[in-house]
Amino acid sequence: MAIKSKRYAEARLEANTNLELYWWVFMRISGVVLVFLLIGHMWMNAILMDLNKIDYDYVAQRLSQTTWKIYDWLILALALLHGANGLRYVLDDWVRDPAKRFWTKVVAYGLIGFLFLLGSLSLFNHDFGVK
Amino acid sequence: MYRGREGQWAFYLHRLSGLGILVFLMLHVANISSAMWGPEVSNALMKFYHQPVFQVGLLVLIAGVLYHGFNGLRIILMDFTAWGVRYQRQLWYGVWVLFVLFYLPFLVKIGGGILGGSHGD
Repeated sequence: MAIKSKRYAEARLEANTNLELYWWVFMRISGVVLVFLLIGHMWMNAILMDLNKIDYDYVAQRLSQTTWKIYDWLILALALLHGANGLRYVLDDWVRDPAKRFWTKVVAYGLIGFLFLLGSLSLFNHDFGVK
Repeated sequence: MYRGREGQWAFYLHRLSGLGILVFLMLHVANISSAMWGPEVSNALMKFYHQPVFQVGLLVLIAGVLYHGFNGLRIILMDFTAWGVRYQRQLWYGVWVLFVLFYLPFLVKIGGGILGGSHGD
């Protein structure tokens, strides 16, 4: 079960398994990193750049640099993991029927895994061919 | 831990914004990965998403991300400091101060774009 404690010391006592405690810690660490990555991402694309001018060429130009590939991939990986685990907490709390909960998780994790693969492929395996 | 009032709202808003962001993230990844089908497909999809209704959605999304992020920092402060839980309510109002501070530029830029009709072609 998800950890409900709000203090690290209590969380450690409450954790049934080490894995559950690691997830608890991961949510905090990925959360802090994502705050900075996402404010940067949104600021760059919505404030510095005009959202309506974003097209294939703009994306291609940005992703022709390895730094931005890694930046975007970090967001992809951390956000999907953070989101998947957050969704797990929500499903554990709100979907009471064990069979329904199991299949909802299968579908959700499957979709998230597929999107991680899709996103990684387009970041690292696609030649954007910058002019 | 939470005895109603602000803490309860903070919790519900955190979950709601989290779920919203996850749904958006999935659409966003699917949209961006359309680049693998070439510029025509990619540009057509992006033009579709430049419609005003999606820009309004983006404003809602950015609000969600900023709230979720700043409230997440509040949660971390409650987790790892001796005083965080005691001041959880004050911290929540701090979250809203940060929220307004960071949200205003987005509201002006994107909101101005929608009102000014600078979308699409």
